Amino acid sequence: MSEDWTQFRGPSRSGISAEKITDANATDPMPELVWKKDIGCAFSEITISGDKLYTTLSEKTDSLSGWEYMAAFDAKTGNELWRNKIDSIFIDKDDFGDGPRSTPLISKDAIFSFSSYGKLTAHSKTDGKQLWQVDFIKEFGSTTPRWGFSSSPVMVDGVLIIEAGGTEERAFTAFDPTNGKLLWAKGKGNASYCSPLVAEIDGQTQIIFANQRTLSSYNSKGEVLWSFAMKMNGPTSMPTLVDANKIFVSTVRSSGFIVVEVKGNTVTELLKAPTMKNDYSSTLYYDGHFYGFNVAALQCISAETGEKKWTKRGFGKGSLILVGDKLLVLSDKGQLIQVKATPDVYTEQRRFQAIQGKSWTAPSFVNGKLYLRNQTEMACYKFN
Amino acid sequence: MNKKIYQLVIICLALCLPNVIFAENAESIIAKHIEAHGGLKNWNKVESIKVTGQFTAFSIEKDFMAYKNRSGEYYADLQLGKHQVIEAFDGKEGWTIDPWQEITYARRINTGEKNVFSQKAEILTPFFDYKEKGHKVEFVAKEKLEGLDVFVLKLTRNNGKEEKWYLDANTYLEYKCESKWVDFAQELPSETFFDDFRKVDGLVIPFFVERTFWQRDRLMQIENVEINPTFDNKLLDMPKREEIKKLAFLEGKWDVKMEAMSRRGTWRSMGQTLSTIDFASTSVLQEKIKVERTFPINITLSYTYNDNCGKYRISLLEDLSSSFEVFEGDFSDNIFVFDNAGEKMATFTQFTLSDIGDEGFTLTRRISRDQGKTWQDRDKFTYTRSE
Repeated sequence: MSEDWTQFRGPSRSGISAEKITDANATDPMPELVWKKDIGCAFSEITISGDKLYTTLSEKTDSLSGWEYMAAFDAKTGNELWRNKIDSIFIDKDDFGDGPRSTPLISKDAIFSFSSYGKLTAHSKTDGKQLWQVDFIKEFGSTTPRWGFSSSPVMVDGVLIIEAGGTEERAFTAFDPTNGKLLWAKGKGNASYCSPLVAEIDGQTQIIFANQRTLSSYNSKGEVLWSFAMKMNGPTSMPTLVDANKIFVSTVRSSGFIVVEVKGNTVTELLKAPTMKNDYSSTLYYDGHFYGFNVAALQCISAETGEKKWTKRGFGKGSLILVGDKLLVLSDKGQLIQVKATPDVYTEQRRFQAIQGKSWTAPSFVNGKLYLRNQTEMACYKFN
Repeated sequence: MNKKIYQLVIICLALCLPNVIFAENAESIIAKHIEAHGGLKNWNKVESIKVTGQFTAFSIEKDFMAYKNRSGEYYADLQLGKHQVIEAFDGKEGWTIDPWQEITYARRINTGEKNVFSQKAEILTPFFDYKEKGHKVEFVAKEKLEGLDVFVLKLTRNNGKEEKWYLDANTYLEYKCESKWVDFAQELPSETFFDDFRKVDGLVIPFFVERTFWQRDRLMQIENVEINPTFDNKLLDMPKREEIKKLAFLEGKWDVKMEAMSRRGTWRSMGQTLSTIDFASTSVLQEKIKVERTFPINITLSYTYNDNCGKYRISLLEDLSSSFEVFEGDFSDNIFVFDNAGEKMATFTQFTLSDIGDEGFTLTRRISRDQGKTWQDRDKFTYTRSE
């Protein structure tokens, strides 16, 4: 039984699907293309619930303006079912890509999107109509980051959590998902590009934010559990949970990554190493090892020592997920590469051109199907 | 005593011996490295090289081309994200057009960039002809790198910058290089990886070069290599700024007829003088003119372009009163008009360049005492080409 991909980085926010993919080799037929569609520019992952896909997109009305949308698609055909405006379009002046950055969150009854200009919107799951909206710039004094608001929301204990850099110690906020009522706002820091991690540590559910130089943990009531001053600044990729109570944090502009251990709300740095510098793509942890993009090199390193096990170049700043024991790596130019997740040696099982163009969004995987998107198109491939 | 001297000599020899061995090792490694690349004989026939292919920056793949020659000259045309970038280097000095710096015209490169362009200008690796180039090489170690046995060589360039090269111990081809690079003209460390070695006319060349520095990733995939193409050295001439090129008609040596407006409203001759107008740089056209009314005055006029307001600018410095004034203006219908109306002074001054032709032009100075509503002619300078 497969789990839906209802949020950023999948069911457990780890980039991991519990499904299995069979081994393949280069002579095997490539996965079957189920459908491919054009889509407006955005960096959101495709989230999946039942027979529907949800993601954001944007469309320009002229060279300087346009709209960001929350949209739903038929998972079988890729046909658009509905779309609803969420905000004015974010136009990137350097042409790296317009539109939303954040990945929507799907709950039982609603969908929650976060626009590039800081509007958190609850949508009806059936037709996408707006249920409520919070404007972080107006209501919380948040400042739009250089590349737009990017953090993806998360639901913990029925509370909707988002990091949006509100002023007056309102960096991290919690809302009642049914009506948008603010439940709590805590913490200092401008809006980062990083999404919060959720972990069950010492019997309590913790929401862990990596903002600027501070790693901090809150429970769903907004109580601070611990805070840790990192000797690195501004992680963009999401932290990765390791063995239930350890946290991996990496930044591309710093000296590498750290692994900290949380015990009884006390945080200890266990490891610091230069071997994994994540930019916008997050690292995943599997069986004692980290797999991720060290700037633009796909790499496997030991989670215990940071020692490099193997490196594979040529994928640019790609992204990856783990399905069973296979890495599905999407190169920054839309090639999909299936790699065995083993520290022994880089073992590529197949590769094919899955989508065309600059691809900075990690894939999603549900029911043996891989869902991909980039700035111009999205596609579904059937594995197994 | 002799015994002590003998012991001292032995100790000195023992201390020096590893260096001798390492020096020999560096030499032999480099010899095999050049051999692996196709051999010295083949490379000695190479005077210039042109590579074309795909260059990837910010995940966008675009065509690129680069020329380089044996004397260290280099010219490249590539696309960096949304901007076209031009790079040129004559082996010592260079220029670039890099709109990412918010400078859309050619600018000279800084010291860090010169080091980068030197690296880009190598037709092979820096180990080819390294002694002639004034580089120094030391053998560092043989070690494992990403599962590969590598020889590590430290290269000190003739500019003093150090690099670390990792050569595959089996093939002697380069695997990785650590060197100083630049991002937005600021120096920072980089790592470059080489792969996909292919044979072209007996020369072995890496067709895949990936470089990472800070958070950047740049990928060069060569598709075609042309050996000994004609290198047009004119490519290395630093181009003049497009806006200033429109004023190129001013360049030259001029006989200047000077006239002043009399009270009767007619032009009165004030004599003749000489003027020289040259490009002081690719974005500045400068005039030096001497005039004499009561006293001799040297005037320097600089014609530039102000990007911020999209207007041309004349700065006028005269040495008698040491006054310095700036006038801004624009070009329309073959007439340039500059004034200092923006300065909010009691009297405005305006310069007009008109009657523009191959052999001359006219510069007229006018003033306004009513905030630019009406203008009165004051001086007229008629320029006639003297050479």
